[in-house]
Amino acid sequence: MKRRLALWICLLLVWSLLPMLWQLISSFSTAESLVNGSIPFLQRWTLVHYKELLASDPPFWRYLLNSAIVSALTTVITLALAIPAAYGLARVPLQLRRVLRWITVAAALFPYVLLFLALLELARRFSLGNSLIALAMPYSGLAMPLALLLLTSVFESLPRELEDAARLEGLGLWQRLRWVLVPLLAPATASTAILVFLFAWNEYPIALTWLSRDELLTLPVAMARIAGSSIYSIPYGAYAAATVLGSIPLLLLVLICQRQIVSGLTNGAIKG
Amino acid sequence: MLHLNGLGKRFGEQWILRDLNMQVDEGECVALLGTSGCGKSTALRLIAGLDRQDEGSIELDGEPLDSIPAERRRIAMVFQSYALFPHLSVRENLNLGLKIRGVSPAQRQQRIETVLDTVRLREMADRRPQQLSGGQRQRVALARALLRDPRVYLLDEPMSNLDAQLRDDLRPELRQLILQGTQPVLYVTHDQQEAMALANRIAVLKDGRIEQIGTPEELYKTPASQFVASFIGRPQINLLPVDKQLTIGIRPEDVGFDPEGMPCRLISREWQGASQLLLLDSPRGALRMLCAGDLSLSEPLHVSWLTSAEHRFDAGSGHRLAE
Ligand SMILES: Nc1ncnc2c1ncn2[C@@H]1O[C@H](COP(=O)(O)OP(=O)(O)OP(=O)(O)O)[C@@H](O)[C@H]1O
Ligand SMILES: [Mg+2]
Repeated sequence: MKRRLALWICLLLVWSLLPMLWQLISSFSTAESLVNGSIPFLQRWTLVHYKELLASDPPFWRYLLNSAIVSALTTVITLALAIPAAYGLARVPLQLRRVLRWITVAAALFPYVLLFLALLELARRFSLGNSLIALAMPYSGLAMPLALLLLTSVFESLPRELEDAARLEGLGLWQRLRWVLVPLLAPATASTAILVFLFAWNEYPIALTWLSRDELLTLPVAMARIAGSSIYSIPYGAYAAATVLGSIPLLLLVLICQRQIVSGLTNGAIKG
Repeated sequence: MLHLNGLGKRFGEQWILRDLNMQVDEGECVALLGTSGCGKSTALRLIAGLDRQDEGSIELDGEPLDSIPAERRRIAMVFQSYALFPHLSVRENLNLGLKIRGVSPAQRQQRIETVLDTVRLREMADRRPQQLSGGQRQRVALARALLRDPRVYLLDEPMSNLDAQLRDDLRPELRQLILQGTQPVLYVTHDQQEAMALANRIAVLKDGRIEQIGTPEELYKTPASQFVASFIGRPQINLLPVDKQLTIGIRPEDVGFDPEGMPCRLISREWQGASQLLLLDSPRGALRMLCAGDLSLSEPLHVSWLTSAEHRFDAGSGHRLAE
């Protein structure tokens, strides 16, 4: 039984990690070796893709920085609004809460790509284009329903008496949030934050339409440009190197918050 | 002095608590006694301000509490579940409220150390609540209530999660810590023995209404209804129907052997050490009887009791009939 399980886990790991490994190998291989299988193993390695990426104008780390700024800002705005909102939602009467929850679910499931023309119009009207801070606004709006759903269900799962005890201790509303509820929700908040961060990190259509200046591009848009930079050949190597660099910050984030994510997920953060 | 005037609470259409009138004096402990779900916790939550009553009013020292939010009522409550903050150590649990209420760090430190000594938890001060036993958690909850320096103590079945041994151990502690202060204390329990041992007066609750309120002695000697009679006193009172109108109650300890009495058959006996509880089959129905533990029994048994020990109840309503 145990060995069967281990086998399955190994298969799953291969299934999900193999593409990444492929990218890793590609990113260190010369362009020629990627299309020509007869090049000997020892002669195929190179760092040229990375060098090019970092030497280009603007350098690749600039895109990473842009994405990091937008994603971090999105996460902060989303959580700052979603935590109090989720608290409020968890406290409204049951029937109203049900209605509100359905609306939130509908909003979370809505294919947001359909909104991008309208959003583009907004950006034009209020000159929000080419600003990373402005880009975080639609992002946090779009991430809000999911964050709200996740956080509301955790607030609901907290025993009512904990907050009652805090009230009798003399803690006002914000003090209860600050000293009791938010610390108790830390694991769930961390896993929500990562989902929001991921969304903003990967978002493509809105970034594509809102940003045009080279030095402001976020990672997905920059990657798309690399992929389409030449009409004669596809730059597999450069693309793979960009993928590798682009996933390093996420890997770091997940490693740092690993404990919170796991306990948040198993705490029933993703229920209801 | 805590005063409840016609307090009522309903959830939807159903009244959970109705017409609760009661007064708790300085330094007095009143026990709220009742079966599970009869509205005891609800009553405490109303007094603490955690829920809002649908009718009636609450007064403390002559001043109405209704417009004061729970945060500022200065009422301490020990919850049925203790409700300790799981993310904080024992010391931090005690510290949080003091800090919020603006007590200076030096004074905080000193008061926490004192109270930790009082509840004998000094070695546990840096543990989280999950790492404590039930009895220790209960003492942390008590300590938190003590530090609140409240105007009223509300204790919601503080011992219901503990085993019988621990309960007996903690009862004197509780009496010393809280019941000797000058504040009114409301003590909720469904254990009549605990209520008898701790409270100055007991209010027996049934379906959200007070069935009877009085000293333990009054409740034992003159129960106002069959319900109170069978709730107070262990082993349980015998209720013997006489006719369609009358039921009499006779306590097992008031039944005695008497060669002239009713002949009975012994069905079973529970030996309790100093005493034994006999279950008898009498011409008037099943009968519980308490007698000395070292008595050897020989059938047939003849038993009787004094008419003055009988409690007479209306068979229909269950109310006590005038003597
Ligand atoms: N929020 C609520 N909504 C609807 N009904 C409720 C609510 N809270 C309590 N009740 C009902 O009120 C009644 C009394 O509840 P309460 O908690 O006061 O009982 P209790 O006497 O404390 O019981 P126990 O000894 O089991 O703690 C119960 O029947 C319960 O179902
Ligand atoms: Mg209760």
